[in-house]
Amino acid sequence: MKNIIFRWLGFRWCAFGLIAFAVTSVVALPRSLAQENAAVETPATEPPAAAVPAPAAPVTANAVVRFAVFPPTVHLTTTRDHQTLVGQIELANGLTSDVTREMTIEVTPAELVQIEGNRLRPKQDGDGQITVRHGDQSIVIPLVVRQSAETLPLSFRLDIMPVFMRSGCNTGSCHGAARGKDGFNLSLFGFDPAGDYHRLMREQLGRRVDLAFPERSLLLEKAVGTVSHSGGSLFKNDSRYYQTLLEWLQNGAPDDPGAVPQVVSVELYPEGGVLNGPDTTQQLTVVANYSDGSTRDVTELAYFSSANDNSATVTQAGVVTAANRGEAFLMARYDTHTVGRHFIVLPKDLEFVWQELPANNYIDELMYAKWKRLRIEPAPLCDDATFLRRVSLDICGMLPTAVELDAFLADSEPNKRAKKIDELLERKEFVEMWVMKWAELLQIRSTINVSYKSALLYFNWLQQQIANDVPIDAMVRELLSSKGGTFSNPATNYYQMQTDTLKVAENVAQVFMGMRTQCAQCHNHPFDRWTMDDYYSFAAFFSQVGRKPGEDPREVIVFNSGGGDVRHLVGGRVMTPKFLGGAQPEIQPGQDRRQVMANWLASPENPFFARNLTNIVWAHFFGKGIVNDVDDVRVSNPAVNEALLAELGKRFTDYKYNFKQLVRDICNSRTYQLDTKINDSNASDETNFSRRYLNRMRAEVMLDVISQVTDTGNKFRGLAFGARAVQIADGNTSNYFLTTFGRATRETVCSCEVVMEPNLSQALHLLNGETVHQKCREGGLIAKMIGEGQTPASVITEIYQRAFSRKPEEEELQRLLGMVAESPDVQDGLHDVFWAVLNSPEFMFNH
Amino acid sequence: MKQKSSVNFLVACCLLLGAAFSVNPSPQCRECVTLDRTDRSDQSDRTDRSNQTDRFLSAASSPRLNLILPRGVQRGQTHTLEFIGERLGDAQEIFFYTPGFQVQSIEMVDANRVKAVVQVAADVPVGRHIAQVRTATGISDYRPFWVNHLPIAAEVEPNNDLASAQAVSMNVTVDGIVTNEDIDYYAVPCQEGQRLSVEIVAMRLGSYLFDPYIAILDANRFELAVSDDSALAGQDGVCSVQVPSAGTYYVMVRESSFGGNGECRYQLHIGDFPRPTAVYPAGGPVGQSLSLQFLGDALGPFASEMALPATKSEDFAVHPSDSKGLAPSGIKFRLSEFPNSLDNEPNNAAAAATKIEFPTAVNGIITEDGDQDYFRFTAKQGQVWDIEVYGRRIRSGLDPVVHLLKGDGTYLVGSDDSRGPDPYLRWTVPEDGEYVLWVHDHLNRGRHDFVYRVEFQSVAPALNIEIPRIEQYGQYRQSIVVPRGGRFGSLILANRINFGGEVVLESENLPAGIRLQAQPMLANLNQMPVVFEAAEDAPLGGQLLTLTARHADPAQAIRGPFKNSADFVLGEPNQSKYITGEVEQVAIAIVEKLPFRIEIEQPTAPIVLDGTKDIKIKVHRDPGFTGNVHVEFPFRSPGVGTRGNIQIPPDQTEGLYPLNAAGNSQVGTWPIYAIGMSDVGGPAWSSSQLGTLEVAAPYVTMEVARAGCEQGETVLVPCKINQLTAFEGEGKVQLLGLPPNCEAEPLTFTSTTQELVFRIKTTAETTAGKHRGVFCQVTIPVRGESVVSSTGGFELQVDVPLPKEEPKVEAPVATPPPPAAEAPPAPPVEKPLSRLEKLRLDSKKK
Repeated sequence: MKNIIFRWLGFRWCAFGLIAFAVTSVVALPRSLAQENAAVETPATEPPAAAVPAPAAPVTANAVVRFAVFPPTVHLTTTRDHQTLVGQIELANGLTSDVTREMTIEVTPAELVQIEGNRLRPKQDGDGQITVRHGDQSIVIPLVVRQSAETLPLSFRLDIMPVFMRSGCNTGSCHGAARGKDGFNLSLFGFDPAGDYHRLMREQLGRRVDLAFPERSLLLEKAVGTVSHSGGSLFKNDSRYYQTLLEWLQNGAPDDPGAVPQVVSVELYPEGGVLNGPDTTQQLTVVANYSDGSTRDVTELAYFSSANDNSATVTQAGVVTAANRGEAFLMARYDTHTVGRHFIVLPKDLEFVWQELPANNYIDELMYAKWKRLRIEPAPLCDDATFLRRVSLDICGMLPTAVELDAFLADSEPNKRAKKIDELLERKEFVEMWVMKWAELLQIRSTINVSYKSALLYFNWLQQQIANDVPIDAMVRELLSSKGGTFSNPATNYYQMQTDTLKVAENVAQVFMGMRTQCAQCHNHPFDRWTMDDYYSFAAFFSQVGRKPGEDPREVIVFNSGGGDVRHLVGGRVMTPKFLGGAQPEIQPGQDRRQVMANWLASPENPFFARNLTNIVWAHFFGKGIVNDVDDVRVSNPAVNEALLAELGKRFTDYKYNFKQLVRDICNSRTYQLDTKINDSNASDETNFSRRYLNRMRAEVMLDVISQVTDTGNKFRGLAFGARAVQIADGNTSNYFLTTFGRATRETVCSCEVVMEPNLSQALHLLNGETVHQKCREGGLIAKMIGEGQTPASVITEIYQRAFSRKPEEEELQRLLGMVAESPDVQDGLHDVFWAVLNSPEFMFNH
Repeated sequence: MKQKSSVNFLVACCLLLGAAFSVNPSPQCRECVTLDRTDRSDQSDRTDRSNQTDRFLSAASSPRLNLILPRGVQRGQTHTLEFIGERLGDAQEIFFYTPGFQVQSIEMVDANRVKAVVQVAADVPVGRHIAQVRTATGISDYRPFWVNHLPIAAEVEPNNDLASAQAVSMNVTVDGIVTNEDIDYYAVPCQEGQRLSVEIVAMRLGSYLFDPYIAILDANRFELAVSDDSALAGQDGVCSVQVPSAGTYYVMVRESSFGGNGECRYQLHIGDFPRPTAVYPAGGPVGQSLSLQFLGDALGPFASEMALPATKSEDFAVHPSDSKGLAPSGIKFRLSEFPNSLDNEPNNAAAAATKIEFPTAVNGIITEDGDQDYFRFTAKQGQVWDIEVYGRRIRSGLDPVVHLLKGDGTYLVGSDDSRGPDPYLRWTVPEDGEYVLWVHDHLNRGRHDFVYRVEFQSVAPALNIEIPRIEQYGQYRQSIVVPRGGRFGSLILANRINFGGEVVLESENLPAGIRLQAQPMLANLNQMPVVFEAAEDAPLGGQLLTLTARHADPAQAIRGPFKNSADFVLGEPNQSKYITGEVEQVAIAIVEKLPFRIEIEQPTAPIVLDGTKDIKIKVHRDPGFTGNVHVEFPFRSPGVGTRGNIQIPPDQTEGLYPLNAAGNSQVGTWPIYAIGMSDVGGPAWSSSQLGTLEVAAPYVTMEVARAGCEQGETVLVPCKINQLTAFEGEGKVQLLGLPPNCEAEPLTFTSTTQELVFRIKTTAETTAGKHRGVFCQVTIPVRGESVVSSTGGFELQVDVPLPKEEPKVEAPVATPPPPAAEAPPAPPVEKPLSRLEKLRLDSKKK
């Protein structure tokens, strides 16, 4: 009978094979939700909105409200320089359009430059202005031309290296691989120009470069494919890249005589766009700013990519082409800099009217602004029972009791949700939940270097910090500048969990700033701003962590050794400590470098700290971060709502890093309280939180909740029987259930350690394993209720209230009663109901 | 050279044997009380056995002791102590390493456990004491137990929460156990303002890795004091509070990580006794009276006048007491011959340093965070100081760091952790002048009880001896068990500190009937073999033996004790030592005759460098005894090697112990002995006599040049003989290491032979290639034995023959027949040619 009830409860796929669980359980909605799903399936098969001829838009909607030309200034230097201009208009309905080809360009005085379409080349030194016209609108851009008659010799670093980068020569799949390709090795993405020059010119004399006959240099012949080249023909003989390389070779292939100007920033224009339907295009232009104040149009040298090819693609000429509805982040990489812009793609001539909604707080306001741009209508507010279950699970990791549920439903006060949030925040379970999450970030576990006692003391220290509402910045400062014995000052275990200097630095960046800097250990980060210099300079803060054995063989004394440096991988130069993405601080002799770093890290001066922590908190309540994954903050993985993340970070700083207040803001927002319902506009939204996403309960919470519902307990090392899995101190303490459901082993700081995705093992364990089946019986709940004289209907109602935080609907009740009646033994029948309820998606998911 | 060694050996033997014989058997050690077994029935059963084999097999040699229960006893009382281990059933005596224990009876519980009724004198110092069991057939390991001064109450479960806390009175010691995740609560009534002190002895009991956590709670569950680890007591905790109001207070005990099991025993002292955590100064001059300040007590510091002992002792501790009683454990205290200098604050900079004058010992307290103590002194160029800083070694919480500066503040040298957390420096004064000593905490912490002491000592020689371990972590065979009419041999290891030279062994209280055989330990060795021999009628029994070592030159006046260190508690990581124990006497027992004896057949001929020799070991088994005998050869002179052991099976009465001497072995005459073990109901060990073995230079060496031939050829290989020592008769030399399918007849030679020629025959199947491992094994008859050595290693190259030229088939008619002159095989080579000569010849032919 179990199977009958089970199938009926929403697992119809069960009959076709359990494996379906893995892929369908995310959308295997609770029964009530499944009906709503069914409702949206039908329109999904209808032609998309774009195919329906839209009614003629009002003239006002198509009115041009803004005409913009990029870049905002033009600075031309030397004969080689040029600049392309890009034009964009914005309509009253928010759509943007590329008008680069439609605009006219005039320069005053005209003799300063030569105009070739939208490209300007210097002719004569002087200052002037460029007037760009489109329709009846015009824009004036300042123009500066200098050294117009001067042709500077080509530079290896400034002119040749960018060709390698743009042509893909130094990517990991080609010569940038650690061992090179086909015998020729370049530094990955050009992190080592001096080494590249050596390999090109000196490694195999006379082979790669032939200065007597530059055209016959293997470098050129391979690149254009006149000789066999695994990478094929990268460019043609008449291309600018070929000409650049040839000219440099003809000049004798000189190395740069000294320091060359560094790229300090790169700008990508236009600043974004809202594209009207598939195949709409937009030209991009990229400008690099150098340390000597000069600028350069590097559109032809930048590498373009799209973070979402499904919505928009970009060619290497910098032309964006819209595809399906959605949002794409389009990036250009030049030198070590990656910059990106958001482009929204809408169905062609989509008709959308934003319905004003009440905003509970700033979160809603900033979310509404984004949804409005995306033309998304959010889901409605969830009902009280759903809210109570959701907020109880999220804040405390527990389900509401039947009494609590009744009281909440009966409460007629308008602010009862806010009151409930406040109440839950004061519970011990809230502290325990966040101790667990921090224990994951701090990798609290026993290892060969860390005894169980150390791990436990470390956990207790963390627990005290969170329980005492110690502001997170103070906690982090204490943690990162800790010294003393791992027993006497357990915070020092942070430096014992990981003893490798570089990895400590990587972990600090990942946990407290959300950044994965590992790539930059060996080469400049390909998708982010971090260079090897940044990496080793940041690691230098941790180069003077001293460790010595304590008197107890299990204890280690961590201290500031006052000596030791980090050397750069290339060249071995000693790196001076420098904040990641920040300044180079002054460190007094004898001063603990970690102290300096911790003071900066956990302060408003570090823009990443508050943002990162708020993002982690956000991800806990929404199942995914505003930047997702939370520890993968990079230029190429931008926040889906930058304004919101910035505001949350600011508020968190204003709250003195008290995250209880932040949680209050989040849970009180209407955004958090949305229903899971899907409508036409938010059906494809998986990132902008316009509806509640379904989240499977995390392993610890799930086991605790199963135990709560069945009135049973668990035994974990170091904890009394009945303690919650959330309270486990040591990452190495686990059981089969927790491991199967993806409990973090805390071996790394990666957020990916917590597995939230359903899989077949989990399904099989729930169905056939001991946990659910045994706990249903072990708790003796059914027997107790029957013993108290409850009817089967009453028992089923209580089971529903315990597991789903709602009463069964009449139809559900009648069908279940019918099934129980068919069972030879009423108690067995009710047990089967109980088992099936605990196996249902409505129970397993927080919705 | 050889002669000189022999003379040395004879002199040394005479000296030592004389010394051994001159030792009067001392009366029974007063700490060791021999008792008749109360288990008379067992004794009579054994004597009634007529079958000798049965008697041997009922013995239980090599007893082991694992645990003494209870873990603590109250002094001034009589207690029944249970000794638990293996093969303890025939226990006859308990050795205590400290006076004050009177054994009244011993009763066997079973083969592995005995109970002893012991009267503990009222003046036995509180703290750890050490005991071991002597059985009729051996001596067990030694193990610690604890002596307390408070009455002892047993823990009564359940006492796992405040509601069920076990009520105890003030001033009691609870004997308890923490089982898995167990928490024990004790309720104790207190008066307002009363001091409540708690000290747990758990890890220090030295029986199990049990790291306790204690707390004092009030009735509202608020913690007044907690202690996990403490500098004073290591992993054990101490707490002392002054209770704010009258009422019941609770003492909580658990394992620090909520672990625990049936082995986690503790002695929990609860009372209003003083529990200071430090004494200042932490040392003083011997034989003088000193005012001591006890720090860290709940009621504040208190002073006490104390008369210090007249002699130095490394283990000395002061036991704080006041009107309320005595602290349950003492505080380590340094005794020295020098007067004290005290830290005179403020001395936080070199300019404000406290002035001190030698000879002195410096005492100070790092009282607050950032506190630095500077001391200024004058020193003469060339003086060499051993500067020992005592912090953790006197159980202070300070982790001291020491630096030396010149008088003008120029930095000279520093030390952090040389003796565990404590620093040590050997410093030679570079020039006459003023210098500054600077002491601070490693983490710049400071506390009111961070006491330290700095001792300046001239570099002095020191010596101690020990029996090296057989087991990596145990005490097996570190006692002397001599069977009547038999022997027991052991290695003695000497640690010479700050001196070199020969060392001799002495003993003041050898038991009657025991003879000690040993030679002086040469200056370049750090170990020597010692054999104890018991007369047939030596009285059965045992005692703790005082062994000492001294410099062979009495004028040097360097003398040192025997020391044996045992690992009581080991644990993660990597079998780290948590609790160890050290004794300065070795237990010795004379036991019944064993059914087997072993003997070395004294070799007459030497073993030569690059040589081998088999030492014949004879086994004498009593009729009816058929045990396998496992023989070891523990002492090997420098360069001599051998196998770990050999077995002499029941059907054999002798075995050969193969020795080999490396080419750089030390030439001389060395003592040797073998020790055999057989199972007589437990492993019983019997040693051979102390024999001698001469290690000599080889009698001859040989030089053989490289040789080569083609497969199937015979090559003549000349061998030049260097005659080094004359010998009589005919020696034999054989080539070893030849490749398969290749042979050479052995040759003989005499003391006058200068050259030999080996005829090496190869076949077509001889493995081709360079065979580098060919050498000469020389056997020379010397005094009826053979002296075997290896010499003359050379390389034999065997080549595959070149293919012969085939006649051309295209022009058979035109090809003239091969000249007849080429057909006959080459005449035999008359003169043996070297490889080089052959190559030259081949080249010339071409």
